[in-house]
Amino acid sequence: MSFRGTIVFLAGVLAALGAGWAGFPRVINQTRTQPAAFNHQVHADKAASKCDDCHSFRGDGSFTGIPTLDKCAACHAAPLGATAAEKDFIEHYVTPQREPEWMVYARQPENVYFSHTTHVNRGHLKCERCHGNHGTTAALRPYQQDRISGYSRDIWGGGGRPAMTMDGCVACHRQEHREYSCLDCHK
Amino acid sequence: MKPSRRSLFQFAGGAVAGALFTPAPWRLITDTALWSENWPGIPRPRRGEIRAKFTHCALCTAGCAVRARCVGEQPVSLAGVSGGLCPFGLAAHHLPYHPARLKQGSASEAAAEVARHGTQGIALLDLNPGRTASWAYRRTMQAINGTYLAEPEPFAVDLRGVKTLLSFGVPVLDGWGNPANVFAARGSFHLIQVEPIESSTGVLADEWIPVAPGHESVISQAILRSLQQGNPSGLARQLVDNGPSAVLGDLPEIPEINRLLGAYGKIVVARPEAPVPESWKKSAASVTRLADLPDNSVRVLLIDEASAVDYIPWHRIARKLVRENPLVVTFTATRGGYARYANHAIPAAVYPEILDDIAPPNDRIAASFRLSVPLVTPPAGMANLAEFAGALAGVQASNSLRERVGEIHRLGQGTLLTYADGKETPLRDLPGDDFWRALNAGGEWVGEPSRTDPPSLQPAPVPSAESTGDLPLVAIAQPHNPPGSPIMTKLYQESNLRLAPNRIALSPADARAAGVRNGGRAVLQTRLGKCGVEVTVDPAVPEGSVRVGASPGIQDVCGPAARAKVVSA
Repeated sequence: MSFRGTIVFLAGVLAALGAGWAGFPRVINQTRTQPAAFNHQVHADKAASKCDDCHSFRGDGSFTGIPTLDKCAACHAAPLGATAAEKDFIEHYVTPQREPEWMVYARQPENVYFSHTTHVNRGHLKCERCHGNHGTTAALRPYQQDRISGYSRDIWGGGGRPAMTMDGCVACHRQEHREYSCLDCHK
Repeated sequence: MKPSRRSLFQFAGGAVAGALFTPAPWRLITDTALWSENWPGIPRPRRGEIRAKFTHCALCTAGCAVRARCVGEQPVSLAGVSGGLCPFGLAAHHLPYHPARLKQGSASEAAAEVARHGTQGIALLDLNPGRTASWAYRRTMQAINGTYLAEPEPFAVDLRGVKTLLSFGVPVLDGWGNPANVFAARGSFHLIQVEPIESSTGVLADEWIPVAPGHESVISQAILRSLQQGNPSGLARQLVDNGPSAVLGDLPEIPEINRLLGAYGKIVVARPEAPVPESWKKSAASVTRLADLPDNSVRVLLIDEASAVDYIPWHRIARKLVRENPLVVTFTATRGGYARYANHAIPAAVYPEILDDIAPPNDRIAASFRLSVPLVTPPAGMANLAEFAGALAGVQASNSLRERVGEIHRLGQGTLLTYADGKETPLRDLPGDDFWRALNAGGEWVGEPSRTDPPSLQPAPVPSAESTGDLPLVAIAQPHNPPGSPIMTKLYQESNLRLAPNRIALSPADARAAGVRNGGRAVLQTRLGKCGVEVTVDPAVPEGSVRVGASPGIQDVCGPAARAKVVSA
């Protein structure tokens, strides 16, 4: 290949590298806004809430996940502070009794069965092990949704959080010398 | 400088090379795979209210109690009550969706052909005897002067009452009985396992005694002689000194050994059955074993294979059929098995689709009655042999379960166990309708323990060992496996827990001699025919023998004393 040809080839390589590393993530992921600007930190500090005050286990062992509106409305029937975020939340959700459609960063495929009670109550895993510092953040991370698969970019991990893909789950099970078989997660 | 076509190609080539070093192509591949999980038409597990339903597993006579976790009406996971459920039972809710499921076959065409043949020389082979449906079959055959064929298992063993258990190849700890019952009693008995290859039971037994394949009788005959002479030694001494003892296995000496050990009526008892209406007993054909049926005597054979707990090699059945134009109709859930030979294969419902009772188990000395309560609706077009055969004879079979439950309730004995609330209620305290409802909600009736001597059974004739000739290997069969979910391939392919149904295992020396390698394909040849198999090379298999999987194809070419040859495919 001539010198000019090599330059053109390398230019192609560089262009692809730039597009792939810088441009591709912007294109493949679309940023969506959560229904409300929730502040975990203020709830932990001022309300002295712990994770399981809102994300709790029911009597039969099932996990409540993201709390429903009535949990929020129990405290925020009227504004407790003066923030715009709280005012918006009360106006758009509490008052009209409309359930916020939170987007779940850790959403798993339909064919996966994950048991919080097994991991938390039997495995004694802390919330931070999988969810990182999410519970201490002042603002929710931007929800970036993969346009093709529909899942959150967060399932790939990063920022101190493990990946929540199947490989990530299996790796942790191996590390902890726990059993893992198809039927454990795919019923 | 104007870009030329060559430079465009050079740029594109560079771009392709560079793209490989970015996340883009790899992420696109993964995303496409994830996206394909959500295509229209792909079944999705339901999301919704979680409910628990109770039933009993119908895959074998253990009839383990099952707690089904359901989303709406869809079972999404099964678990054993009191911890007992084998891997086959755990994944049994997949069976209705098995890719090998038989979905087509006309019961009306089969009925018309049976009518053309007439009912002279008709027989019905029941591969899951002891159920209420079995009584319906017996009544039907009696009404039309037909023959009811089954391989009865008249014994039950009280594991809690035995101190020393000698097993000749019986998978006591791996599929023989109800896992919860067996392991609850495990601490109370010393298990001696005698077999050519150390099975899962052998690994967990207290003693494992290897024996040359085909020579188990040498040991059983020695024990019998020793007991008969009144001077027991060796294993016989151990059985006598550490009783109560019992022996399990198929060898012809075993019934007499158990009698001499005093096990009959104490440890080995007649398998108790739940009460049956007297009118049924009076109008039922007797049970005939296949071996006792004259050859070439069956013109029309109906087979209930839908919930089979065993597989009889086809050659043993075929020899009983008339030579000219026999008619075979099988009711089955899969295309394997007898559907390969039958004139008509009629699709039947599977567990957990149908309401059926479970045959008496082999590890309990109290009669019990358990229903396999349907968890899902069967697809349209499924047929039922009890109704098919009943129509031939004018025997109404559809209400049999209710009638039988009525008889149990009328006698007023025993206890009802309900798993949802963990209660035991004396039957006499329950109204009849409540009893029926409780059974349909997964409850279990348990009668009083029975210690009746088992019937003396003429031992099944032992086929004489075939000449070695050009068949140098002794075939060692695997125990029958219940039908398995496709996900159970992990049990076979990624572990050594069970030999896959279509596999054989050879010693390294025999594999070398046959020119086959581990994972390769081969042909298993016997006097009865040949069968394509896959090969596992296993140093635990003794030289001169071949361990064969339990697929119908392999069992069709291997008899109990089969000799075989393996050749490269």
